[in-house]
Amino acid sequence: MKARRAFDPVLLLAAPALAYMALVFALPVLILIIGSFKGPGGPTTAAYTAFLSDAFNWRVIGNTLRVAALTSLVCLVLGYPTAVALARSRGAVQAGLLIAIILPLSVGVIVKAFAWQIVLRRDGIVSAVLVATGVWDAPQLMLFTEPGLVIGAANVFLPFMILPIYSVLKLIDPNLQASAATLGAPPLYRFFKLALPMAMPGIISGAAIVFSLSAAMYVIPTLLIGDRFQTLATLTARAFLLMRNEQLGSTTATILLVLAVSIVMLSARLVRAAGDSR
Amino acid sequence: MSKQMLLDVRGAEKAFGGQAVLDGVDLAVRKGEFVSLLGPSGCGKTTLLRIVAGLLGADRGQVLLDGADITGMPTHKRGVGVVFQSYALFPHLSVSDNVAFGLRAQGQPAGSIRQTVARFLDLVHLGGMASRSVRGLSGGQQQRVAVARALAVAPKLLLLDEPFSALDRKLRETMQIELKHLLREIGITTILVTHDQEEALVMSDRIAVMNKGAIEQFAAPDDIYHRPRTPFALGFVGHSTRLDGSARDTDQGVLAVDTAAGPVRAPGSFVPGSPVLLAVRPERISIGAGLANPAVNSIRATLSDIVFQGSKVHLHLAARGGGPVLVETNRVPDGLAIGDETALNWPVADTLLFPRETA
Repeated sequence: MKARRAFDPVLLLAAPALAYMALVFALPVLILIIGSFKGPGGPTTAAYTAFLSDAFNWRVIGNTLRVAALTSLVCLVLGYPTAVALARSRGAVQAGLLIAIILPLSVGVIVKAFAWQIVLRRDGIVSAVLVATGVWDAPQLMLFTEPGLVIGAANVFLPFMILPIYSVLKLIDPNLQASAATLGAPPLYRFFKLALPMAMPGIISGAAIVFSLSAAMYVIPTLLIGDRFQTLATLTARAFLLMRNEQLGSTTATILLVLAVSIVMLSARLVRAAGDSR
Repeated sequence: MSKQMLLDVRGAEKAFGGQAVLDGVDLAVRKGEFVSLLGPSGCGKTTLLRIVAGLLGADRGQVLLDGADITGMPTHKRGVGVVFQSYALFPHLSVSDNVAFGLRAQGQPAGSIRQTVARFLDLVHLGGMASRSVRGLSGGQQQRVAVARALAVAPKLLLLDEPFSALDRKLRETMQIELKHLLREIGITTILVTHDQEEALVMSDRIAVMNKGAIEQFAAPDDIYHRPRTPFALGFVGHSTRLDGSARDTDQGVLAVDTAAGPVRAPGSFVPGSPVLLAVRPERISIGAGLANPAVNSIRATLSDIVFQGSKVHLHLAARGGGPVLVETNRVPDGLAIGDETALNWPVADTLLFPRETA
């Protein structure tokens, strides 16, 4: 059925960006990857075996994946309802919501980090609310903890979850829900059999973006938690900046890259599968 | 209210942002009846439909279905099916999964779902397309899926929201007849919302003509055509020639009216001097001078255009005094050419009489 199409010259418009990315991204990454396989007597995987045979490093990989997964989850739980509201709203309300979602992106992470320190410290708002609602018995420090890190990361990455879901939802005919209701489907059934499957491509791409961003984040964990909590990204930075161990840095960077690329490719497949069944 | 009423809407009111869209509407539909809500956009017909389906809450008024008050009942418990203008098919599901959606939501056993789906797909002539994706379907096929899906859950009442407007003219006419027969066969009570008078005339047992949030007339199609109760109903259903006039005197139930085209008589009565509107349907008017018969009206007019309509011919004329006149005949009378002045006549009994709003 598929006919081979003649080359479309409009595609050449992507050439400058491709050349740019090849030069400033693909090439350095390639050099980095090659560096991780360098050994005194030729190419070797010794750096990987050494890295992966250390239990501490497995904890680092675990930290990375767990924080990224939790951040994605928090963003999804907060972002999906927001995207639904955004898609339903009109006019000034919609504009206001969009500004509220996008504007924080223009505030640097450093500025945010100082704000979080106010929120997350022992006498901060989070602690006060949790004590007041009876969740905690006494005020606690949220700063320098993993939940504090997830709260901070979710704060930065939330727009990257909301916007892809919103872009899918806004194309859905609002009469689909009405139609399902007239067929006798109760609200929960409509949510699981209609709303969720239809939003799935947006959810998957939002989750993939937030997951790869939070797996690779460096500034946020450094500012919110410090040295005692290591992820692949912070370890990579330490290896290059503090330990001057380029081999280790290239190795951890490559592992992070492989993880991130697999996540993106897997989610692309999932999106296509979800799209095919639509 | 008779026990046979399936749907009974009482005093439905709805306003959006202070603007009244429904102004105390009553609508009673008999079991098995096909009713159309006919009116221009903004007349409140879709709002009324959404209130009946529970997709919109009325500000005031009641909705009774089969004798039970369903005013506050959520949509999914009402048993009111809707075919939407956009069809609103579920794009992530196949044709048969679309039809099965409501049955599955109600938790019916898989075996009976399969049978029901197959039966309704056969009814709408889509038997061979069960596993197809709904995305590749033509407009007509999509409409059939939407109809099968709505009927499969056996609703008490079916609502059709401008279901033909996305189809081209030829297909629209075919689908109208086909759907009318299918719904009659099943015996389901149906309300059609449309702005297309021909569609309403083709399909309905009764038509509710709506204007500015109110039902102006609710009657059988030929009643509305031959005996429109308001100038709006007259204008919205079918063509007519209108003459403004002033009431003179009433004699034995016939009112004499002075118009710019001369004296005209109509059944009815008005206080002498009141402003009135007279109207005649185009097929009632004959070319030629009427005999000096008190039961026939006669005016003179100049032929300005001849429009061939296939089985009929429309003659456009200008009455003496300026007003446009429309005559429908089978063929153009011999010797009559554009620019000729001719006499027109029609029975007094066929003259419609309305009060005339004056600015």
